[in-house]
Amino acid sequence: MGIKIVPRYGKSLKDRLYLPAIFGGMKTTISHFTKNLIDTSNIKTECYPEMQPNDITDRYRGVHRLTHREDDSVRCVACFMCATACPADCIFIEAVERTDGMAEKMPAKFSIDLLECVFCGGCVEACPCDAIRMDTGIFTFIAEKREDFVLNKEQLLNNTARKEEN
Amino acid sequence: MNIILISVVIVNIILALLFSLGAAPILVWVERRVAGFIQDRLGPNRCNIAGFRLGGLIQSFADMLKLVFKEDFRAGNIKERFIFRIAPVIVFVSAFLSFMVMPFADDLVIGTQTFIMQGLPLDFGVLWFLALAGLSVYGIILGGWSSNNKYSLLGSVRAGAQVISYEVSMTLALVSLLITYGSIHLVDIVNFQSGLIFGFIPAWGIIMQPVAAIIFIITSFAEANRTPFDIAEGESEIVGGYHTEYSAMKFGLFFVGEYVAMSASSALMVTLFFGGYNIPWVGTDTLKEHFDIVMIAIIVLLPLLSYKFGGWILKNNVWPKADDKRNNESKWLIRILVMMNIFVVLLLGSFLFFGVSATTTNIAVAIMQVATFAIKLLLMNFVFVWVRWTLPRFRYDQLQDLGWKVLLPISIANIFVTAIAIVAFGA
Ligand code: SF4
Ligand code: SF4
Repeated sequence: MGIKIVPRYGKSLKDRLYLPAIFGGMKTTISHFTKNLIDTSNIKTECYPEMQPNDITDRYRGVHRLTHREDDSVRCVACFMCATACPADCIFIEAVERTDGMAEKMPAKFSIDLLECVFCGGCVEACPCDAIRMDTGIFTFIAEKREDFVLNKEQLLNNTARKEEN
Repeated sequence: MNIILISVVIVNIILALLFSLGAAPILVWVERRVAGFIQDRLGPNRCNIAGFRLGGLIQSFADMLKLVFKEDFRAGNIKERFIFRIAPVIVFVSAFLSFMVMPFADDLVIGTQTFIMQGLPLDFGVLWFLALAGLSVYGIILGGWSSNNKYSLLGSVRAGAQVISYEVSMTLALVSLLITYGSIHLVDIVNFQSGLIFGFIPAWGIIMQPVAAIIFIITSFAEANRTPFDIAEGESEIVGGYHTEYSAMKFGLFFVGEYVAMSASSALMVTLFFGGYNIPWVGTDTLKEHFDIVMIAIIVLLPLLSYKFGGWILKNNVWPKADDKRNNESKWLIRILVMMNIFVVLLLGSFLFFGVSATTTNIAVAIMQVATFAIKLLLMNFVFVWVRWTLPRFRYDQLQDLGWKVLLPISIANIFVTAIAIVAFGA
């Protein structure tokens, strides 16, 4: 077993004078300052909201959406798996019988309270038929009233997947 | 002749106000923008009036307005209401008054009269500064104590202990300086520094007394409660320190007071160590004698510098959205810059053409010295900001170690060395 000897700093005269280290640090900061002052385009800050972020990955958990079947009807079968998995208890489903033979049940109402939601993605994991996804890429959701933060079934169905922008 | 006297006094007071009070929003802006650039981000740049952002300076005014209109809240457990209220005033007033003795220019001669170019025409400047700087900590101590809250009390106790330990070394460093200069009148001190050593190095305090300069700079950081010595605020340890309980303009006074104190410290440093209003290598008399050459130099240099500056504005003052009104700003700034250039060049040109009287020369020299002082002051304030965003805060015991075990012995030794040198080689 090798012994690693860690060098101890701070005992030499140069270290104990402090000033050389301080001037070294000040040199570093001033070099950043002058570089950025001469050409502010060196700074990577994005002026949101004029510039929108372009580094949202595919796996980013944004606002939810409900997916569609091939015939554009709702894919959800109102099995309540997502509502059960949800740690924030913010999914509210009312089920009705489905008569077109696609499935036995479908949601009459399906709403998610975004003020309660913690964006954990548990609902997406829990869904057995890929009916709910969080791939819209919507990272900011704004409303004026508390009630407006509760998304209903139509709004969720209208959300679309984020388009790849290149 | 009384009109001249009154107008010079008024100009002096306005200048002192500008450099101290007027500097506060500018310093806040400088602090935030410099911090941004040092950390590779932008800092405040969004606030505007009709598209004018002035590089984000408008944000400072918005912040001040906000502080004025905020609710002035006082917690119910604060019993010493009078002291609680008076504490920020003490901090602010003493910081403000300590600025009043800084000389902006050499004594101005108009006709037969001589005026001292200071806010208050006193000739014991250094002592005035020390007295008021010591007083300002009372505001912090009283404010922290009357807040009736353990964090505030801790903050004020720290401030008290810190000022006691650092004021000693500061004063001792000053003593060795005063031995060198042989005067406590700041104008004399600055004029002493207008000479040259060995014929080519300006006889600035930092070259004559480097040790005292370093000690003085370190201790005035502590005196102004700035990082790395801002343990009285220590927001990572004791919430907000002495101003935890303060809100609205009472907090605003502490806040502005800190910047005014910083500006006053910088002014004293510039005066004591960096030649004050002196332009290096060019004394007051030289300026007056060769005023023609100086004017020609300005006429040539000003447009060149303005051209550079305008290019910088056009390159950097852009807003990412094309049709935003903020994008019109650069155009107007360039126009103002050009107008100012034309004005100055025409004025100086007419002076050159028609010749100038002695009084005009004196006033013009005074204006140039005020400008020099302002530039040096800004640079020194920049150093304060620069240090703040470079160094971490001291731990309390390290702070006391540094004050008592390092700075104090060195400053005492420095007095002895200086005194021996003065006795051996003459003043
Ligand atoms: S993301 Fe998490 S908290 Fe939000 S609805 Fe889905 S399961 Fe509930
Ligand atoms: S979204 Fe998925 S998990 Fe939730 S009720 Fe519909 S089918 Fe079930």
